[in-house]
Amino acid sequence: MSQIFDRVLDARGLNCPMPLVSARKEIGNLEPGQILKVLSTDRGSVADFQGWAKVAKNVELVGQETETMDGASVYVHFVKRAS
Amino acid sequence: MTPSTAGTVWTSASLLERLERRDRFAILDVRNRDEFERFPIEGRERLAAINVPYFEMLELGGKDEMEDSVAAYAKAHLAGRLPADHPILAVCAKGDTSEYVARALRRLHYACASLQGGMKSWGAYCSTRAVAETSDLSIYQIARPARGCLSYLIASDGQAMVVDPLRRMEPYLELARAKGLAIGAVLDTHGHADHLSGGPALAAATGAAYHLHPYDAIHPIDLVPASIAYEPLREGQTLRVGRRELRVMHVPGHTLGLVALRLDDEYLCTGDSIFIRSIARPDLGGKADTWAPLHARSLRRLLDLPPAIKVLPGHFSGLDEAGETGLFVASMGELKERNDGLLALQRRNEEGFVRYLIDSLPRFIPEYVDIKRVNAGLLIPDEEQASTLELGKNVCALSQAYGA
Repeated sequence: MSQIFDRVLDARGLNCPMPLVSARKEIGNLEPGQILKVLSTDRGSVADFQGWAKVAKNVELVGQETETMDGASVYVHFVKRAS
Repeated sequence: MTPSTAGTVWTSASLLERLERRDRFAILDVRNRDEFERFPIEGRERLAAINVPYFEMLELGGKDEMEDSVAAYAKAHLAGRLPADHPILAVCAKGDTSEYVARALRRLHYACASLQGGMKSWGAYCSTRAVAETSDLSIYQIARPARGCLSYLIASDGQAMVVDPLRRMEPYLELARAKGLAIGAVLDTHGHADHLSGGPALAAATGAAYHLHPYDAIHPIDLVPASIAYEPLREGQTLRVGRRELRVMHVPGHTLGLVALRLDDEYLCTGDSIFIRSIARPDLGGKADTWAPLHARSLRRLLDLPPAIKVLPGHFSGLDEAGETGLFVASMGELKERNDGLLALQRRNEEGFVRYLIDSLPRFIPEYVDIKRVNAGLLIPDEEQASTLELGKNVCALSQAYGA
């Protein structure tokens, strides 16, 4: 069931808008077709990554999960560089 | 207010002041559309608000850094939409992103400030005002402006009772400390559906008794008894606070265990029965057909109280319901003449009024079932769940109050 990915961005502990700003920069370093896994502790990132993927032409949100790490909820986003 | 004095950060307190003064400013809300629609900032009159989610500004602005992107986006897309002659308040969920936005707009010479702590702070913010303040009797109204919730601290001779305390207990503890009062009793007029009660926690923190009517210690939809400890209230009972006495009136309708508290012919805490502009809805227990006639009879009983008695309601629907003092208080006599629900009550027979109630029901809020569970001790939320449950303004009144 686990999602394949090429790179990980650990944005845990960062407040909005930094998880998304950092993910957007990191996507630029990926090859088209590659997938970035983003870890965030900001709950708002779930809706925001969905909204961002809708307006960004070169990214596709291929999955989202919530995990518990060290007793805290971590929101995981899998973002694919489409082109 | 000129743009140059708008400052860079507004606290919730300063936002409330500006809303109450009807200052001119525009809101640039950068949360996503759902959040913006569910929980906007509302003033005494309609505010100019633009919603552009921050991720759209970031992506469409096209720069690497947030601030640069916002500046580029604003230049290209917001030039004609943002006011040049009065301030702009940038708003986000928690107050971080709005700072980037405000900085970017100031770079473009707009007078833009950021709402400190974002909608999370505004949603939780409480303001305290004195309704009466003498040694014999003091009444303070503690309002949560963003949600339209009202609570009270009633004091006499150094003793205090808190009525319908909100989730965060600091305002009550601070007020009691500042005025040298001992909180000896905490009371919920009913099992709330729209907000999490601070009652049991405040009672535990102060050693006070927690009072609730036993009918509201049963979850109306689950039909499961509450697990919280409480002192049962009953019709006609008197509760002493210092030199004064409050009389309990059981006025079922909004809930089965709703009580009003009468302080002689002077004040009446109506809980969720009579508000300033409207009256409470009877359907949050899922049984509008059987509760609406009870509501009608209870309202009639309250309507017969002396016209000079001052109503202290449990909610408001808009900041414009407050008088110029900022207090949400009006005499029963005044309300008889201008409260939508009470006007309907006086013009109709019981059957007609029940039909009016049923026809005026706003949408049912699914979160309200869980909030009642939390208030009965049947569900324990963590901090994140608690603030999610409480998001947005209360919808405890009939829909007339919302201009719907």
